[in-house]
Amino acid sequence: MISRVADHCFWFGRYVERAEATARMLGASVSLALDAELPSAQVWRPVIVVTGEEDQYREAQCAGDDEHAAWGEAEVVQRFMVWADTNNSSLHQTLRAARWNARSIREVLSLETWEAVNELHLWSDSSTAQAVYANHRDQFYRHVRGGTQLALGLMRSTMLHDEPLDFIWLGVLLERVGQTARMLDVHHHAFTLASRNVGGEIVETALWLSLLRALSGSEAYLKRSAGRVSSDAVARFLVSEPAFPRSIAYCVHSAHDRLCGIRPPDRHDLPGGTSLEQLRVLDAWLTARAKEPLAGSSVHDLLTHVVDEVQEICGQLGKELLGATA
Amino acid sequence: MQSQSQSQSGPIAQLAGLFEGYPGLANTYDEMFDGASPQLPRAPFARIAALLDKMRPEDLARAQALAESALLQQGVTFSVYGDSRGTEKIFPFCLLPRVVAAEDFRRLERGLQQRLRALSMFLDDIYGEQKIFGAGVIPPEMILGAGGYRPMLRGLKPPGGVRIHVAGVDLIRDTDGTWRVLEDNLRTPSGVSYVVENRLVSKRMFPKVFDAARVHRVDHYPTRLAETLRSVSPSGDDLCAVVLTPGPYNSAYFEHSFLARTMGLELVQAPDLFVDGDKVYCRTTRGPKRVDVIYRRTDEAFLDPDVFRPDSMLGVRGLMKAYAAGNVALANAPGNGVADDKAIYPFVPDMIEYYLGEQPILEQVATYVCMFDDDRKYVLEHLDEMVVKAVDEAGGYGMLMGPQASQAELDEFRARITAEPRRYIAQRRIELSSCPTWIAESSSRASSAISLTPTGRVEPRRVDLRPYILTSREGPWVLPGGLTRVALKQGSYVVNSSQGGGSKDTWVMKDHA
Repeated sequence: MISRVADHCFWFGRYVERAEATARMLGASVSLALDAELPSAQVWRPVIVVTGEEDQYREAQCAGDDEHAAWGEAEVVQRFMVWADTNNSSLHQTLRAARWNARSIREVLSLETWEAVNELHLWSDSSTAQAVYANHRDQFYRHVRGGTQLALGLMRSTMLHDEPLDFIWLGVLLERVGQTARMLDVHHHAFTLASRNVGGEIVETALWLSLLRALSGSEAYLKRSAGRVSSDAVARFLVSEPAFPRSIAYCVHSAHDRLCGIRPPDRHDLPGGTSLEQLRVLDAWLTARAKEPLAGSSVHDLLTHVVDEVQEICGQLGKELLGATA
Repeated sequence: MQSQSQSQSGPIAQLAGLFEGYPGLANTYDEMFDGASPQLPRAPFARIAALLDKMRPEDLARAQALAESALLQQGVTFSVYGDSRGTEKIFPFCLLPRVVAAEDFRRLERGLQQRLRALSMFLDDIYGEQKIFGAGVIPPEMILGAGGYRPMLRGLKPPGGVRIHVAGVDLIRDTDGTWRVLEDNLRTPSGVSYVVENRLVSKRMFPKVFDAARVHRVDHYPTRLAETLRSVSPSGDDLCAVVLTPGPYNSAYFEHSFLARTMGLELVQAPDLFVDGDKVYCRTTRGPKRVDVIYRRTDEAFLDPDVFRPDSMLGVRGLMKAYAAGNVALANAPGNGVADDKAIYPFVPDMIEYYLGEQPILEQVATYVCMFDDDRKYVLEHLDEMVVKAVDEAGGYGMLMGPQASQAELDEFRARITAEPRRYIAQRRIELSSCPTWIAESSSRASSAISLTPTGRVEPRRVDLRPYILTSREGPWVLPGGLTRVALKQGSYVVNSSQGGGSKDTWVMKDHA
């Protein structure tokens, strides 16, 4: 497979997953703001922090005197996260990037997958989307989620299960590791603070459930924990649960499997050996950590390590397999 | 059986539905109607016309809108040059098909095969012994002075012996319906993806009419193209063919991607390829992979910076050396521009006689070659009656439509022709044939709520036809179909998509409907 095409596949997967994650996070935050009696900034600031666009937001929206207020403006944050073309992580920009990558590899995608992505992009550019956004916010996020999930499902049911799909899925999984890790990190920190201050345990429970919803994990979590909600248990679930497809351990393990398909471990004649080894080491490290207790600041350390490693691995993949010039 | 044959030979009813009051254009051959008063459909199309006539304008308008949105959603689009936001548009499309009678197409097919055989022999000769120079058929300076002539390719035999793997020959019909060749496109002709995509749309929209019309299929074009490419590979069965595109910003990117996809080949860009030891390789996730055949959709000037344009950032360094060593086939072969030069075109009938010893089957358009003193004098005296074309331009650029031109435009071309006579040819304007075309009504009545139903009417618009000819080791094959381009603007003679033209599906009938 051509390295440039593999690169587009990889990024296509990442952008589609990113669009879905962003839509899910925004939808869950709207719902959280309604339920939990929290200062507005505590709901909305993490949304910006998770995407790493804090500076961008501060520049664009916090020009006035009252910086704190700007972080709590639900409408301002959402407009920034959905429409702002100055924000590389906005849904609109992410969908455009997904579609651009798809168009560059139109010949490797199935017609159905391409149409799903193209239609979603055309919709996000349309006045219909603007109207739905204005009048039925929840419906808007559902539509984006539905569209991206459709694309992700169609890939698996209509494309050859060979290298291009492996690269797309590698992108999806590594993006998902990053999303889950950053979401958990930001919220773990904020929620721990919140439970110390305001209403204690009850507020904390609402927060954890909202985080789980943002990761499509609330039902799965409740099944595993028999209805008990605690910060340690949620963190452990999101880090280590081997059967939950959005847990860090699951995604890293599956990403390693995918890369083994692309570059079998015994084929030392092929490029990609370093990336594969790094991914294997991270997978093993997470498996070992699953047996140890996970609490307090160790969560942050673990997540930082994961995010750094994944970034390193993506860079290595770029050099070894995706034709990036070093 | 009896009733069927009666319906074919019986009197043709006048149409009172969609085609009622269809106006003819003065002095113009209409593809579907006979031009009499009242208008009747031509005999081979009676049944098709009657079926189409039954459609209500609202239905056609709705089908047309549906078809356009389907094309947009599938991304059947071209990029608009000079638009920094990367805007994409669909190629305007008219749902009403252009139908070609079986008998007509059989003759075109023979004529095109003959023409391609002669043009191929001409290229072999020009890049070989140059025997034609001594025969008094074409002035040698005409050939040597062509912008598309590449002296450095002389003596090179392309792998498989094929040079014009893919050709698109533009045909028009004059006032009495005679088919004439307007120009040859032997470098990187485009548009075939619209032939296949338009067919998908019209089959979906007119299943009954389509079924009744008994039309030749066109969807096997990519398979035939892949066979053509395989047939010229310098290596054995386990060969690697790729499609080379300038990239997603190219206006024809959809087509490049379409062809790669429908042939199951990789779509590559120049940076994906490199040359080592006169062999071409592709950069893959499993290391370098040998490439045997390149269907290149890049201009030859950008193929190899070592040979053509040293300033080019595009291109694959060393590609031409690999080609010269016979290690890679390029489709189409570089150097073909000398044969589709518009100043060489007037000599193609002579070439056919010289190389094949046959009479040309297809007519051409009488052409004045501005390099010749007599011709130039005549052209300059009658400039306002002429269509003037630059010999090395395409897409409707560098062209003067004398009868519609302003004094300033006429003066400009007079100066250009005088300065560079070799660059220009002139032809009398041909009254291109017309074809019933759906013209959507602009919603001038949009204020009233009822008029939200889209509507429109059928009017004649001028068309041409570009059939596609594939040449493999076994010789030329003509796709029974082609791209009908239509000048959508009222009164226009220019069908190029860059100049407001659209397309129609072309139905080549198997036999009588």
